[in-house]
Amino acid sequence: MVDLGRVQKELQECNKNMDVSGINVKPKGDSLTHLIGTIPGPVGTPYEGGIFQIDIVLPDGYPFEPPRMQFATKVWHPNISSQSGAICLDILKDQWSPALTLKTALLSVQALLSAPQPDDPQDAVVAQQYLKDYQTYVGTARHWTENFAMVSSRGHEEKVQKLLEMGFAEASVRSALAAVGGDENLALEKLCSG
Amino acid sequence: MEDYANSDEEYYYSDRDSFDGLVNEESDFQWVPPKAPSSRVITKESLLTAQRDDLQRVMDLLSLREHHARTLLIHHRWDVDKLFAVMVEKGKPCLFAEAGVPLMEHQIVSLPLSSSTLMCEICMEAVSSKDSTKMDCGHCFCNNCWTEHFVVKINEGQSRRIRCMAYKCNAICDEAIVRNLVGIRHPDLAEKFDRFLLESYIEDNKMVKWCPSAPHCGNAIRVEDDEFCEVECSCGLQFCFSCLSEAHSPCSCLMWEFWTKKCRDESETVNWITVHTKPCPKCHKPVEKNGGCNLVSCICGQAFCWLCGGATGRDHTWSSISGHSCGRYKEDREKKAERAKRDLYRYMHYHNRYKAHTDSFKLESKLKDIIKEKVSNSEEKESTLRDFSWVTNGLYRLFRSRRVLSYSYPFAFYMFGDDLFNDEMTKDEREIKQHLFEDQQQQLEANVEKLSKFIEEPFDQYEEDKVRDIRMQVINLSVITDTLCKKMYECIENDLLGSLQHGIHNIAPYKSKGIERASELITCQSNKASNADNCPSSENGTNGGTAEFDRPSGSGSSYESGYSSRKRARKEGLGGIDLNLPAEVVDRN
Repeated sequence: MVDLGRVQKELQECNKNMDVSGINVKPKGDSLTHLIGTIPGPVGTPYEGGIFQIDIVLPDGYPFEPPRMQFATKVWHPNISSQSGAICLDILKDQWSPALTLKTALLSVQALLSAPQPDDPQDAVVAQQYLKDYQTYVGTARHWTENFAMVSSRGHEEKVQKLLEMGFAEASVRSALAAVGGDENLALEKLCSG
Repeated sequence: MEDYANSDEEYYYSDRDSFDGLVNEESDFQWVPPKAPSSRVITKESLLTAQRDDLQRVMDLLSLREHHARTLLIHHRWDVDKLFAVMVEKGKPCLFAEAGVPLMEHQIVSLPLSSSTLMCEICMEAVSSKDSTKMDCGHCFCNNCWTEHFVVKINEGQSRRIRCMAYKCNAICDEAIVRNLVGIRHPDLAEKFDRFLLESYIEDNKMVKWCPSAPHCGNAIRVEDDEFCEVECSCGLQFCFSCLSEAHSPCSCLMWEFWTKKCRDESETVNWITVHTKPCPKCHKPVEKNGGCNLVSCICGQAFCWLCGGATGRDHTWSSISGHSCGRYKEDREKKAERAKRDLYRYMHYHNRYKAHTDSFKLESKLKDIIKEKVSNSEEKESTLRDFSWVTNGLYRLFRSRRVLSYSYPFAFYMFGDDLFNDEMTKDEREIKQHLFEDQQQQLEANVEKLSKFIEEPFDQYEEDKVRDIRMQVINLSVITDTLCKKMYECIENDLLGSLQHGIHNIAPYKSKGIERASELITCQSNKASNADNCPSSENGTNGGTAEFDRPSGSGSSYESGYSSRKRARKEGLGGIDLNLPAEVVDRN
């Protein structure tokens, strides 16, 4: 069975310093075995500004078996399937160690976004493009980021508007939203408490 | 009869130098000191003993504990020489690091006092240090987490390489710790772990292989110096150690693989189809022309031209088909059909002969019982001839030579065919080689047939003089066929394969005495204390240890180790005494 005690601790730990990393994990439903992770696209890459959601399923053997992760947000990257969102990353497979956590795994995924490895591709089409026509790759990746990973940030303005209507100052609304990764309710909580 | 005798006599004496006569031979046999057998049977019981030597060597030389020696050996696939070579080349720290053996310094660090608690990084709980375990690499986690980790890895089939849980720690976990921790909660799994660990010696070792018998006899065979050889397991199965299929020398493994595939699949049927049929342009079924003109119609109703295979209309005259003209001769197609036809005939030639000899050695193995009866009849008779070992020896020689002869046909099929050596021989070279080989083959074949004929004589009903005569013939022919087999192997090695494709076609050497039966390891008393419960090898392990030597089948045999440069060693046998019986295997087929 999944070690739920550890999962709970991990979630607390991860969300405690979310301000710094921008990485956030929360349960998808009631169960602690199906989670949603969020990572911001790394600065200086075509993924910058995007918020990427990752679907996480914890196998029975977790943490002795690696968590199963795949992108729920569509992304154009040599090591991530543009169709299914499957991620090709060694620590999610044979290099997994029980000493790793969901947060470290997500950090690795984020690092993968900034450092693609086209020689070991998950998506051959993207990898070909990356190697042969880098500019087009950057363009496509950017385009996908804007279209798929910023949908929530397009709704972002609506959220800002909503919170403004509640009577909060624009500056604090924006910083609160950024701090909680764009989640309206959490931002409201934060605004109320702070 | 007399004709045979004369011609044989000539042959025998002219070649006498090469084998020193019969009388000597028998006495020679007794004087050869027994040498280490070239193959061993490893049973479930002797598995631990079998790896003891290798472990001990590594432990002694590197002053290591056993589990570290095992880790190193598993990493280097039980190749002790290679392991030492790596150590000389890269140094001890590198050798250890690559295999996941922690350097000694860490071991000295003692556990903290039992009263203190520590934080297990895996379950993120505080645990008292008596409930935690520190591995040789220095990483310490709680016992629950270790156990879970081990269970997952054992179930994944990773027993031989369970790494430490810490991220990027390459160290292999101490097998005793794994065994103890897993054993507390899952004794059956701990047993499984032990078995996997022990069986690494078979699975990860190119000099040891499971016996391919089905149903499996549970044994493995270890060869001592040459992996290209044929062996017999204590279960009676004879097989090629290199490819694990039936013994097929003088065919190489590659040739044998091709041959069995060719015999099994329908490639020859396919050839017939190309020669005799054409595909319908509509439904693509092959259509055979059963007479008449070149306008053929398929059962699907489509009409087409037999010459070019193109679809046509249905009306035709003697000279033309409506809506169609293809007068041009297609040389290419014709050639292809020609070649397919030739290949088919060629295959049939070799296959028929291969089959004929295989069939006769199947029949000859029935002869064994008949001969036994004849011998016992003869022994009851009042006669000066008391010793009938020449009959059984002759019979074994017959089996042995038949095998060689039978497998020499698939060898020839590939040796002189287009599949394997086309680029390496000119047409002339190939022809010369083929003549050379076929001469050898013919001589062998003739003598084998003669031997077979004499052995089948009802000598138990003959007068003493006549029996003496047959005895002489059988003894002579036994020696001759043995010599001819040796010569054929020499020819194959030196004249045929000598200059070609080095190393790819390794041919198991000819052994006069037949395929060597692997001898059993005698299990010794030394055993790991921690492992003694799970491994019943030590005390009662000697059962059957020497039983194998009782069989008169040449088990403790004494061949020179090979002198050949390319591992196709030919080992000198000692004449027609004491051969292995292929009968068990033959019956199996």
